[in-house]
Amino acid sequence: MSPALRRYILVRVLLTIPMVLILVSLVFLVLRVLPGDPALAILREGASEEQLASFRAALGLDKPLHVQYVEFIKGVLRFDFGSSMTRKIPVTQEIKTFFPATVELALASMFVTGVVGVFSGAFAAQHRKSAADYTIRILSILLYSLPIFWLGLMLQMTLGKGAGWFPVSNRLSPGMTPDKIITGMYTVDALLTGNWPLFKDAAWHLILPSITLGLVLAGIFTRLTRANMLDILEQDFITAGRARGLRERTLVYRHGLRNAFIPIVTLLGLQFALLLAGAILTETTFSWPGMGRLVVDRIYDRDFTTVQGAILFFALLVAGISLFVDILYGFLDPRIRY
Amino acid sequence: MAEIQTPSSTVEAEKIGLLGRFWRGRIWYGTEWYITTLGGLILIAMILMTIFAPWLAPFDPNAFIGAQFTPPGWGKQTLLARSGEAPDISLDNLAGVMIGVQRNRNGANLAKELHAQGKRYQTQEDLLAALLDGEVDLIFVDQKLTEEILAHYEGLEIVAEGLGRNYPLGTDNLGRDIVSRLIWGARTVLGVALTSALFSSVIGITLGLISGFVSGVLDRVLSLVMDSIYSFPGLLLAIAMVVMLGPGLINVAIAVSVIYVPTFFRVVRGQVFSIKEELYVEAARSLGAKPLTILTRYIFPNVIPSVVVVFSLNVADAILTEAGLSFVGLGLPPDVPDWGYDLSKGQSFLVAGQWWPITFPGIMITLVAAGFSLLGEGLSEILNPRLVKG
Repeated sequence: MSPALRRYILVRVLLTIPMVLILVSLVFLVLRVLPGDPALAILREGASEEQLASFRAALGLDKPLHVQYVEFIKGVLRFDFGSSMTRKIPVTQEIKTFFPATVELALASMFVTGVVGVFSGAFAAQHRKSAADYTIRILSILLYSLPIFWLGLMLQMTLGKGAGWFPVSNRLSPGMTPDKIITGMYTVDALLTGNWPLFKDAAWHLILPSITLGLVLAGIFTRLTRANMLDILEQDFITAGRARGLRERTLVYRHGLRNAFIPIVTLLGLQFALLLAGAILTETTFSWPGMGRLVVDRIYDRDFTTVQGAILFFALLVAGISLFVDILYGFLDPRIRY
Repeated sequence: MAEIQTPSSTVEAEKIGLLGRFWRGRIWYGTEWYITTLGGLILIAMILMTIFAPWLAPFDPNAFIGAQFTPPGWGKQTLLARSGEAPDISLDNLAGVMIGVQRNRNGANLAKELHAQGKRYQTQEDLLAALLDGEVDLIFVDQKLTEEILAHYEGLEIVAEGLGRNYPLGTDNLGRDIVSRLIWGARTVLGVALTSALFSSVIGITLGLISGFVSGVLDRVLSLVMDSIYSFPGLLLAIAMVVMLGPGLINVAIAVSVIYVPTFFRVVRGQVFSIKEELYVEAARSLGAKPLTILTRYIFPNVIPSVVVVFSLNVADAILTEAGLSFVGLGLPPDVPDWGYDLSKGQSFLVAGQWWPITFPGIMITLVAAGFSLLGEGLSEILNPRLVKG
């Protein structure tokens, strides 16, 4: 590792500290400082004064804000989000149960996004200003204008309920249980334990949700790939390759795409927030027991600590991912240095 | 792209009026012109629909005017009652009956009760059971289904047949007209999305201008804060804010607007950085213009084209976020017609095969969001030609 790269990574890691602090403060600001009493928001109108008071005392909401803030930050540093108000187990335990489902969905969707987005984007760039290019561009605008949950419902209606090809909710058919939780991602666990029927069932359930989320994001991705490919295809090495008589397809998909790969990977990282937001809606549509469902369900259960913990977890996750992507970028592209 | 225009044709363009010049644009800008115009036309249609909603919508969007789950189409309906108990109706007071179906025998307005309980008669079966139990006195059913129903249920009689129906897109689970809900829903959706984009643009542009112009520590801190907000999943932030602020039009607009402040900030800040190095800004400064004058008179006007593009794209996104909030049940109060809310309510009836309550609101959301996206995409290439690739 070159000194420049080491310096870059060090700076990037140090920058993560204020970012985490800002994100955590943002969550604190929204959940504790905004007008609106968490006790009232969670217990709703009609709760007695004693109920409200005991709720506030249990969460430390009756203390002055600066004391609350310090305790809040301390909790995050210890990775202690308190315990769930409805399930009486640590919130971290809840997150551990629900998070793998989100990761599984996110990875599968990224795969769909990558395949659809990169190829249609590269194809549009190759046939720039042709009918195919315009069709792909307009289709991609339409794709990311689709409400994710509506696309999900439409797929459920046609391919799920209508044709009966795919299950429309949950991660496994009734009666199926994973023999052993290793990663929590059922498809991966099934492969690791060599349980073929379980893998088939889990993958089957994964198809519609991941197509839903993947397709919507593919709309954005097509556009980004196309723009990047247009840049690349204008560079001298492509012209040189053309002069040497390389086939256009080889030029675009081998030489071009390989060089467009670095910006594309970064962009995929930047879209991660979008992926998580989309996952919340996809999970709600497909009754997929992931982090999004956890937040939405617990809001209904009025479980303030779990909601707060899950949102904090998202904040930390986002900071972690952005650090990871930047470091990856540093390795991939030697021009990126501080 | 377009062939190079000679000065003479530009002069000629000046003479042909605004509309003519707009039409000429298609030669200059090619496909971008078509994309922009397509987006613009969709939006003009939507805006007209929003303005004229009270005249366009055939019914009150919240009124229970027909049978539950009337499928789309122009079919006829039959009015059913219990045998021998049919209220006295003539064609004159039929319009009154349309609303009066939901009244029970004591004259209490069942419609109100229904509303309070949310969903009560979710299926045709429930509705028929209610009729047989005496909860309601009259119900509408699809004419095509009449024979089937009469064969299944005893003690029913036909009061009137072949009644015209004005629900081209059917009715929802509470017997509300879907067309009317779509038309009124446009008001809600555009209102929330435009308000929130307005909030976020004012804040984002102001902070971006200051940050880019002043630079230094302030700029670094602001950028870090904005990047952090940007990296946070927007919908989750909006969900948390709505939970705290409570539902309601303004609260939802505020929650949604927070998400889009960073996009305005980033674009404006970036632009200010490059513009303030331009020669004409340097000239103004050396002539003794005050910083505030430079910012407002020399820099701000040059930022506007990018802001217009970002605004359009953000409104598209805000529409989807608002719909998402309503979909998870955290949007607007139930008496506000809202596409996202209709989608979330219609979701549970998909199992029974009632596809129309969710299909049409989804198409509307897509259409409006696509309208703003197309406009933004097209404008970005037209207004910022230097960014055009190749």
